[in-house]
Amino acid sequence: MAKKTIFIDFSKCIECRACEVACEREHNGMSFINVFEWQEMAAMALNCRHCETAPCVEVCPTNALYRDEDGAVILAPQRCIGCLMCGIVCPFGIPELDLINKIMAKCDLCAHRRKEGKEPACVATCPTDALIFGDFTEIQRRRREKFAEKAIEVAKKAEKISLLGV
Amino acid sequence: MAEELIPVVCPYCGVGCRLYIKTVDGYPVGIEYATDLEGISNEKGKLCPKGNAVIEYLLAKDRLKKPLKAKEQGKFVEISWSEAIKEVAERLKTYAKDDPNQLMFFGSARTFNEPNYLIQKLARMLGTNNVDHCARLCHAPTVSGLKAVFGAGAMTNTYKDIEEANVILIIGHNYAETHPVGFRYVLKAKERGAKVIVADPRFTRTAWFADIFLQNYPGTDIALINGLIHVIIKEKLYDARFVRERCVGFDELVKAVEKFTPEYVERITGVPADLIVDAARTFATAGKGVITWAMGLTQHTHGHDNVRLLGTLSAICGYQGREGCGCAPMRGQNNVQGACDMAALPNVFPGYQAVTDPEKRKFFEEFWGVELSGEVGLTVIEAAHAIDEGKVKAYYVMGENPVISDANANHVIKALQKLEFMVVQDIVPTPTMEFADIVLPAAAMLENEGSLTNTERRVQWSFPAVKPPGEARPDWWILSEVGKAVGFDRDGSKGFRYNDAADVLREINACTPQYRGITPERLKANLAGILWPCPSPDHPGTRVLYKERFLTPDGKAHLAAVDYRGPVELPDEEYPFILTTHRYVGMYHTLTMTGRSEALVKRWKEPLAEIHPDDAAKLGIKRGEWIKIETRRGVYPIRAKVTRAVKKGVIAVPWHWAANVLTNDALDPVAKIPETKACACRVAKISEEEAKRLMEKLPQIIPRIEVVKG
Repeated sequence: MAKKTIFIDFSKCIECRACEVACEREHNGMSFINVFEWQEMAAMALNCRHCETAPCVEVCPTNALYRDEDGAVILAPQRCIGCLMCGIVCPFGIPELDLINKIMAKCDLCAHRRKEGKEPACVATCPTDALIFGDFTEIQRRRREKFAEKAIEVAKKAEKISLLGV
Repeated sequence: MAEELIPVVCPYCGVGCRLYIKTVDGYPVGIEYATDLEGISNEKGKLCPKGNAVIEYLLAKDRLKKPLKAKEQGKFVEISWSEAIKEVAERLKTYAKDDPNQLMFFGSARTFNEPNYLIQKLARMLGTNNVDHCARLCHAPTVSGLKAVFGAGAMTNTYKDIEEANVILIIGHNYAETHPVGFRYVLKAKERGAKVIVADPRFTRTAWFADIFLQNYPGTDIALINGLIHVIIKEKLYDARFVRERCVGFDELVKAVEKFTPEYVERITGVPADLIVDAARTFATAGKGVITWAMGLTQHTHGHDNVRLLGTLSAICGYQGREGCGCAPMRGQNNVQGACDMAALPNVFPGYQAVTDPEKRKFFEEFWGVELSGEVGLTVIEAAHAIDEGKVKAYYVMGENPVISDANANHVIKALQKLEFMVVQDIVPTPTMEFADIVLPAAAMLENEGSLTNTERRVQWSFPAVKPPGEARPDWWILSEVGKAVGFDRDGSKGFRYNDAADVLREINACTPQYRGITPERLKANLAGILWPCPSPDHPGTRVLYKERFLTPDGKAHLAAVDYRGPVELPDEEYPFILTTHRYVGMYHTLTMTGRSEALVKRWKEPLAEIHPDDAAKLGIKRGEWIKIETRRGVYPIRAKVTRAVKKGVIAVPWHWAANVLTNDALDPVAKIPETKACACRVAKISEEEAKRLMEKLPQIIPRIEVVKG
C-alpha cells in the first residue's frame, strides 16, 4: 500500500486549477491531475488513486507498471509499449497516451520531489488544502477526531444553555 | 552550473506570496514553494495557478530588449539607451518650461515602491502633480473612503485576523477567484465555525462557501449596506459603547437609514428581506467580524460612499482596533498599496501628506530642493479628457496599459492618438505602445530588486532572480537616468543619483512617516517583511490599526450617512440589460503577463458572457453561441454561457479581453473612479463571421510591434 497518498477534500476545492498548472510544470507540459466542476456549484480535483489492488499493474503485459518504495504506482518508460491496456482497465480513466514518446503516462506522485523529502507539487501548491498528502489511516483518524471535537462542542454548548436556564 | 533558490515576491495579486525561483546561471528553470518561511502572507508557501506559472511570461519571445523610437504610429526603429534618455529628457524639459501641467505621469502597481517614488518625485520636481496609477481604476474609493471614516486608506488588519474572525462579510469580491491564496484564511475560519456572508450579483465560487448569500443587482450596494445597518440599529445589535466613545455622526446615520427597511431594500436590490435581516443579525452578533471587498464594490460612481458605509457598518458593530476584526479591502496588484503609499497619486506626497497642506509642501520643498505645486493634479480618466481639451500633451506611462484597463477604451484610444508625445516603459509590447513615441524596455519584477507592499501593508523585499533580456533595465535605473538628464543631477534627496534600489528606499525612509523604520537592511534580513506603520528602526511593525484612536483629526471614526444612489446608467427600452464585469482566476488584468503563459492560456482560452437561461431563451441564444453586446460606447463580440449564476436582466463579462470598450467612464465625484461594474447594454445573437469582423475592431491584446531598419 502506498504509505502516503493524496487525499481529496472536495468540500474545499475552489476550482483554481493551481494543481494542474503545478503538475504540468513538474512533468514537462503534461498535467496528471484534473479539476472537474459540478453544475457550477462545486468542484473536485482527480488524480491517480494509486489503488491498493491496482488493475493497471495487474494487466500490464510488460511489467512496465510497478510500485516504488513508497507504494506509488509508477510507469517505467523503457518497458512500456503503449498498448493502452492500463488505461482501459482503470475505472477512473487515469493513464493517458503520451503521443510524443509513444508510451503511457500517469501520475507518479512527484517521485523527484519525494526523493528530496517534499510533497507532490499539486499538494504543495493547493491554496485551500483541498489536497492533502499523507497516510490514509492517519488522515481518517484526524477527520474522525475533528468530527468528535465538533460534536462535543455542540453538546457542551447545549448543556451550558440548559444550565443557564435559557 | 550552480542551481540557486532565490526568494522573490509573486508578481501577480495583492496577497504578495513568497516563493523561490530556481535558477541555473541566471536562467529560470523552475520554482519552489516557500514552505520553510514563517509568518508570510501565503502560509506554507501556497500558490495559485498564476504563481505556479510565474516564469513563463519572463521567457516570452516578444520581450522588449532595446529602446525604440517611433517613425510613424506603430512602426519603430531601435535606438541606444543614451539617445532614448536624451530624447525623453529634452521633451519633458520643453513641456515643463512651457507649462508643467501639460505632462501626465503614470506610476504603476506592477512595479516596486522605489520606481513609484521616483516617478512622482520626477513629476513633482518638474512642477506638476499630474501623476496617478491604476489604483484609480480599482481601489481609489477605498483610499478616499477609508480615509474619510478612519483617517487612513489601507487595510486595517491582516490575513491572520480574517482567520480569527467569527463572521466574514465578503461583498463585491469573488475572493476564491481573485485571491485564491487569501481565501485559504476564510476557509480556515469557516472550519473553526465562523459564518461567511457573501453579497455579489453573481453566484461566484466564493458564494459556494457562503452561509448566507445575498444576490443583489449590480450597483445597488448602498441600499444593501444601509439595509443591514437599519436592521442592526433597529434591533439594537450595535456596540453602543464603541459608538459613544469612538464614533461621531451616529444620529445622522440613524436618520439616514430609517427608510431602508428590509422590504424597501428588497425592492431595490432584489435580495429577499428575511435574508437581509438574517445577515444583519449574524454579522452584528458574532463578536468578531471582518468585511472584505474588492472591485465589485469600488468600481461605481458611488464607490466612495460604498466604502464609507462599510467602514460605518464595521465601526457601529465595534469591529475595529481589535484582533480578528477590521476592514480588509483586497488589492489587485502586488504593489498597489505601495504605489499609493509612495504617492503615485495626484493629491498627496509620500505617506498620504496632502499637496495642499503648506506645511507638508514646505517639508518636501526643502527635501527635494525645488519649488512644488500645491494644486491637485489630474487622475487617469481626467487626463484622457484633458487631452481632448488640449491641456495635456505628453504622457509618461510606466508599466500600465490604459487601452485595455481604462473604462470606455474607444475614447482612450482616440485621446492617445491626439497626444504629441508619449513614453511607454514596459516589459512586453502592449496595445498602448502602438501610440508611443519612445519605448523603454524594462526589466520584469523577478529580474529586478526592490520593496513591495502587499494588501496587508506588509513591506517585503524581492531579490533579483533572473537576468533581464537584452538591454532591458530596472525601472529605478531608467527613472534615475531620466531624472539626471532632465537636470536634477545632484547627490542626496535633491537629485536622482542612486547606486541601487536600496538607496532609493533609504530616501523613502527619510520622508515617509509610515516607512521610517522599514530600512532595506531590515527587509533583506527578514523575508516575512514588516507591516507599516513602522515609525522607527527598532519598531516591530503594526498588525492592527486604530487600537487606541483613529487617524482622523479628532481621533474618532466618522460614520457616513448616505442616501441611495444607483448606477448612473440604468437599463431602458433601448438597452434593457445591466452589464457587469468580472475576472478569471487564471487570467490577470490586461493579459500582458498571463496572455504570454502557455499553461494559463490553455486553461482560460476565451471569455464567456454569462446570461440567465430565461433571457437566453427569449433571445434564442444557446450555450457557446456568438452574441454581441452593445452599449452606448462600443460593441463587443463574445460567446455566451447560459447560467443561473446571474439574475434575470444581468449580463456578466470577464474584462481581460478588452471588454472595457463597453464600460462607462462616468466618474465617482470624490474618488474619480469610472463605473466599470454597471451600465446598460443590449444583447443580440450573431454569426461567427460577424463576430470575427467585430473582433478585428477591438484593440489587440498581444500586438505585434513592428521594428523597421533605419
